[in-house]
Amino acid sequence: MVCAQDTTEQRSLMAHLTRRIGFGATQAELDKLETQNYEDVVDDLLDPGESNHLPDELVLRYHTEVHEQRVGPWSAKQWLYRMVTTDTPIVEKMALFWHGIFATGYAKTNQARALAVQIDMFRKFGLGKFDLLLEELSKDPAMIIWLDNQDNHKGAINENFGREILELFSMGIGSYTENDIKECSRAFTGWTLKNAEYMSVRAMKDSIWPYGRISWHYEYREDDHDDGVKTFLGETGKLNGSDIVRIISKQRVAAEFISRHLYDFFVADEVPVSQWPYTAPKDPKAIATLADAYLSNDHDLKEVLRVLLKSEFFKNSRYERVKCPVEYVAGCLRVSSAVNKPTLLMNEAVSVMEYMGQSLLNPPSVEGWHEGTEWINSGSIVERVNFAYEVWGNSGSIEVKDITDRLSVDGDMYAEEVVQSCLNFMGPLELTEEATKYAIIDHVSRNGLIKFGDKSSKTRSQAEERIAEILALVAASKEYQRA
Amino acid sequence: MTNKTIAERAVYDKTIGIVNNNPLGRGFAHPIDLAYRNGELFVLNKHPVFARVGVCNYREDYLREFGTYGHGDGQFWLPTGIAASDDGHIFVCDEFHNNVSVFKVSGEFVTNWGRKGSESGQIDGPSGVAISQDKNILVVDQNNHRIQEFTVEGAYVRSWGEFGTGPGQLNQPWGITTGKDGSVYVADWGNDRVQQFDTQGTIIGSFGGPTEDEGGLHRPSKPAVDEDGYVYVSDWGNESVKIYAPDGRYIQGLRGEATLSKWANEFLDANPDESIQRDISNLMPDLPDHFNTPYLISTQIESYFWGPSSVIIDKTHRLYVVESSRHRIQVFNLV
Repeated sequence: MVCAQDTTEQRSLMAHLTRRIGFGATQAELDKLETQNYEDVVDDLLDPGESNHLPDELVLRYHTEVHEQRVGPWSAKQWLYRMVTTDTPIVEKMALFWHGIFATGYAKTNQARALAVQIDMFRKFGLGKFDLLLEELSKDPAMIIWLDNQDNHKGAINENFGREILELFSMGIGSYTENDIKECSRAFTGWTLKNAEYMSVRAMKDSIWPYGRISWHYEYREDDHDDGVKTFLGETGKLNGSDIVRIISKQRVAAEFISRHLYDFFVADEVPVSQWPYTAPKDPKAIATLADAYLSNDHDLKEVLRVLLKSEFFKNSRYERVKCPVEYVAGCLRVSSAVNKPTLLMNEAVSVMEYMGQSLLNPPSVEGWHEGTEWINSGSIVERVNFAYEVWGNSGSIEVKDITDRLSVDGDMYAEEVVQSCLNFMGPLELTEEATKYAIIDHVSRNGLIKFGDKSSKTRSQAEERIAEILALVAASKEYQRA
Repeated sequence: MTNKTIAERAVYDKTIGIVNNNPLGRGFAHPIDLAYRNGELFVLNKHPVFARVGVCNYREDYLREFGTYGHGDGQFWLPTGIAASDDGHIFVCDEFHNNVSVFKVSGEFVTNWGRKGSESGQIDGPSGVAISQDKNILVVDQNNHRIQEFTVEGAYVRSWGEFGTGPGQLNQPWGITTGKDGSVYVADWGNDRVQQFDTQGTIIGSFGGPTEDEGGLHRPSKPAVDEDGYVYVSDWGNESVKIYAPDGRYIQGLRGEATLSKWANEFLDANPDESIQRDISNLMPDLPDHFNTPYLISTQIESYFWGPSSVIIDKTHRLYVVESSRHRIQVFNLV
């Protein structure tokens, strides 16, 4: 067991890794990881296997509304449970990554179950070959309604999906022509959903009647598909949607586009995607390395991520990203071990993410969220501080007790020592402003030496309350907002 | 999982209900349980903020409602079970408040009792309530994995059950009912079975089990028993209802075949744009392979049960199946 101030470089690196490919780790989890070889840990993480998490049936029984998943927050709640309790967090992190890029929202679809099905699809295909993922996305009912492909007909194309699959989902502005958009759209005619007309009118009216939502599934209507000859990105033939996906996926520009997204999400905050045509990547060499990995591994995203996670630019990127609200909330809940059974705390957690600026399953537009420092403003930071205080300030939580036990090994402690140790446990973090650190120390000092006493004693209980407060203050710090 | 019929015991009759997205008014908002008394159906709604009891009848007249969302007297936070006594009282248990609220059938609040804990007489996450042969109140003490019996005033009488998988042991039980002879039937949710106890809590037998055949159960929510001793179980995890002979043999499975209720028809009459498209849609489509669980199939096929959380039988031999995620009740005639 790691005690008060034993943080090593290896432990710090593992903490960094778990923050990026998941939502952070408890001290007990770091104890195990610290003894392992970094490269082996990365390989294990990339081969997640079957997920274990708080059983869905427990959640669905307790939260009747999550069973139905009629509206966005009811589906978001189930996803948050998964993020907080899963033993394969990389699966959820990849789903979150793709949700931010292939941003599909409840506001237009009015169909939370279909969004949950889309997230399941990201879990299944999000760490595989990009071609497969992009084809599944093109058949995804929520995406079809989101970008109006049910209105994309033979002889009367709707270019919404045809444009966005190129601009926002795979290559970026400047890599294709207006004619490519038209030909792409023609290729996706007939890609719709079952009972599209009835489902479309219900989605448009947000009708839940008579018996709640009827969820959606994909349907290919051959009689509505334009089977004529098309030319797309220089290739000519009777192209269907699958051909479009195949042609897109082998483009160098697609490799670079996906690589920059991966860098932005896993390494360091980039400018918003709308500025990419005008702003060079933060680390062009890293993007080139990732794009090479994409092309030389048959577009296998797992292999690209393997290269990324084992790179020096990744290892040296600690605290280069601002945690998005989902990462912050899920991280607080997960690392504090606050959730081990269904709880109404999750209702609040879903709401508070929205107050922080991120309504899970309801991105503001098809462009997704603007990340980085845009997450932080005077309103959102108050929500973060309050939520951190509620979760970390619970002295009865498993993690607070564990950290208190670890601290007690060294006997009674002065405030300065305890605060420094808590910073190590929570990061390790180094507060960039001494004033913050001394404000915390000063606050803790007012009640004198921290005495631990024996386990189960009143003194230990009081120590747990004081440690919980310090952890909450650290979680509210500027530095803890970063991953 | 098939729903093979060995002997037909229940035949579909009609559907009652429509989704309601308001704090009051006609329709249901996550109905979780149902009680019957003198021709009236008391529907307990577990909506996350619009919890209440709605009262209607078989003819689909919406009569009244009582109880609201909140922490005060006569209010609910996470209501889970409801029962009606012959003397005209309604009992509602709440797994958040850890109590039982008592009302008159008119909706007038009478009292509440119960507090959280694991000692005798304390309850943790009550999930079902029924009237015993002695006119006492049986409460399913979900997180203590036991059944507790109280007087109508809330005085502790006895309890039985403990966590485990053996006969008489329980794992997060859910719904409860009593038979004509006073036997107590409990949906042993985590053990995928219904257990039958005598009035003192001695185990008599069980129905279902965690098997893949047609007689197996998966996370059952509530049993009902008819006058002949046949047992009907809302098989929540399989999105179905299973029927067993008194000796435990499986005889029939129901998947649901809802039609438009009176209220649903009135909605569609008022919204012809939806009605026209609905009429030309195929609402029983073949589904892609990845919709491969009863739950996923029920999200797509509207007429199937989705979230069957309760079953009851009335005095006229009708079986009522409550669906929390479709906000309706499917009615079957017993033959």
